[in-house]
Amino acid sequence: MSHARFEDWQLLDLAPGAELAEVNRALHFRRSLYQPGALATYNLLDEDERLRMLDRIDEAYRRITGNEPPRSPGPRPVEPVEETGLQGEGEVGSPPDPRTAPGAHLRFQRRARGLSLEQLSAVTKIRTSLISQIEAEEVDQLPAAVFVRGHVLQLARALGLADPNELAARYLAKVRLD
Amino acid sequence: MIEEIQEPTETGPRVWAIGGGKGGVGKSVVAANLALAVARTGARVALVDADLGGANLHTLIGIPSPKRNLSDFIARRVASLNEILAPTPFDNLWLVSGAKALLETANPSFGQKTKILRHLASLDVDHIFLDLGAGTSFNVLDFFLAARRGVLVVVPEATSVENAYFFIKAAYFRKLKRAQPRARVKAAVDEVMRGDARQRVRTPRDLMAQVMAVDAEAGAALMEEASTFSPSIIVNRIERSEQTRLGDEMGSACRDYFGINLRCLGNLPYDALVRRSVDERRPAVDLFPQSSFARAVRGAAGTVVGQPVEAVG
Ligand SMILES: Nc1ncnc2c1ncn2[C@@H]1O[C@H](COP(=O)(O)OP(=O)(O)O)[C@@H](O)[C@H]1O
Ligand SMILES: [Mg+2]
Repeated sequence: MSHARFEDWQLLDLAPGAELAEVNRALHFRRSLYQPGALATYNLLDEDERLRMLDRIDEAYRRITGNEPPRSPGPRPVEPVEETGLQGEGEVGSPPDPRTAPGAHLRFQRRARGLSLEQLSAVTKIRTSLISQIEAEEVDQLPAAVFVRGHVLQLARALGLADPNELAARYLAKVRLD
Repeated sequence: MIEEIQEPTETGPRVWAIGGGKGGVGKSVVAANLALAVARTGARVALVDADLGGANLHTLIGIPSPKRNLSDFIARRVASLNEILAPTPFDNLWLVSGAKALLETANPSFGQKTKILRHLASLDVDHIFLDLGAGTSFNVLDFFLAARRGVLVVVPEATSVENAYFFIKAAYFRKLKRAQPRARVKAAVDEVMRGDARQRVRTPRDLMAQVMAVDAEAGAALMEEASTFSPSIIVNRIERSEQTRLGDEMGSACRDYFGINLRCLGNLPYDALVRRSVDERRPAVDLFPQSSFARAVRGAAGTVVGQPVEAVG
């Protein structure tokens, strides 16, 4: 253990320094809370928020344990998108429109390739938190336009998307950073 | 804006407002049984029927609709507030009929609502249970917030959970509107919600972060206001053991989403004897004290009064 921040422990509802077994239990509980169809969060979050929450939980787990989160053993009424995506090449569902939702498009394509934020970060050398912010189009968390353009290009290339330049242009037009 | 009544440390009754949750989930049954279970710990309890849509607590308690009600006091037709406390067959438990007062002042102003609550808070009792009925009208929301101890009743069904979150969202945003200084906070929120930033406000937590970036003082005021919003939840009609987790899970989700603490006050089982007790017009806690429902209600009553409650006979 690790590069965990206080918020990571907080997110898993644990006291800092909790045992690994406890961390695993907490991971399972938190993940189950945000599975599609979970009663306790029914209609509280939209799909994008739900997936982001799962990402945040996994990242907290990684920072705390230094390990990849194990796949939850618990019952899972519907397979979550990020897992179905592991099997194919983005055939599942249709990707969000890159013109109107470039950030969501990037996230979809990453997940469709079964890549975690961590893995994509290892390839692109862009911080996981920044990738997440770019995907979420969190405008005021983002650096200046010229950097964002570079990052989007890099991400699109790493994911092997058809037209990185077009996507970067759409992205900047959408978030209107300047 | 409506003022909150009574901090827990202050003297005067603790006001528990049972609201939200859609019709039929058991708000009135829970209010009546919880009030009786608390009264049997020796505390003095007033049960206030404030359900505009269908006041029926008197039936659940087994008495006729009280002749005197809150509007008699407001209109000064009775000299003292205690005259509107209708006795019940049970020691330490009184019923106040309040719905008429709310109806007569259709759309009561904040001032009137504050006044109504102040009157109630001057009743000579230890606990007040307000049955607010269903819905998310401003009346219900304001009483729910002003009581400070808002209690939501949910059942383990998607529609009920959805409804509860809808209610919590509405109450929460209404609460945030009270953050001071109002003009400044409003300006900051408007700035965030205008234009592009709006899309990034998904959760109330996001809103606060965005407002904080625009105006730190306004952001702090919002957080301060939100920190005093901590409703509790009672899960009713539980039929399977895994459903007992729902309350705590909703608590976790609310913490993530709103940054608030949602405490689970109790888990109450589905129990066919509840229905029978309603037909008999006697609370299950009295008629079937050993039923699983009555036992669970006594557990919740223990949380309400802050100590475990012994089973009665
Ligand atoms: N725990 C329970 N087990 C079985 N039936 C219940 C339970 N709680 C409530 N009920 C039934 O549901 C009916 C509706 O409850 P009520 O308190 O009138 O709902 P609300 O006030 O929320 O509209 C009651 O008449 C009763 O028959
Ligand atoms: Mg009712």
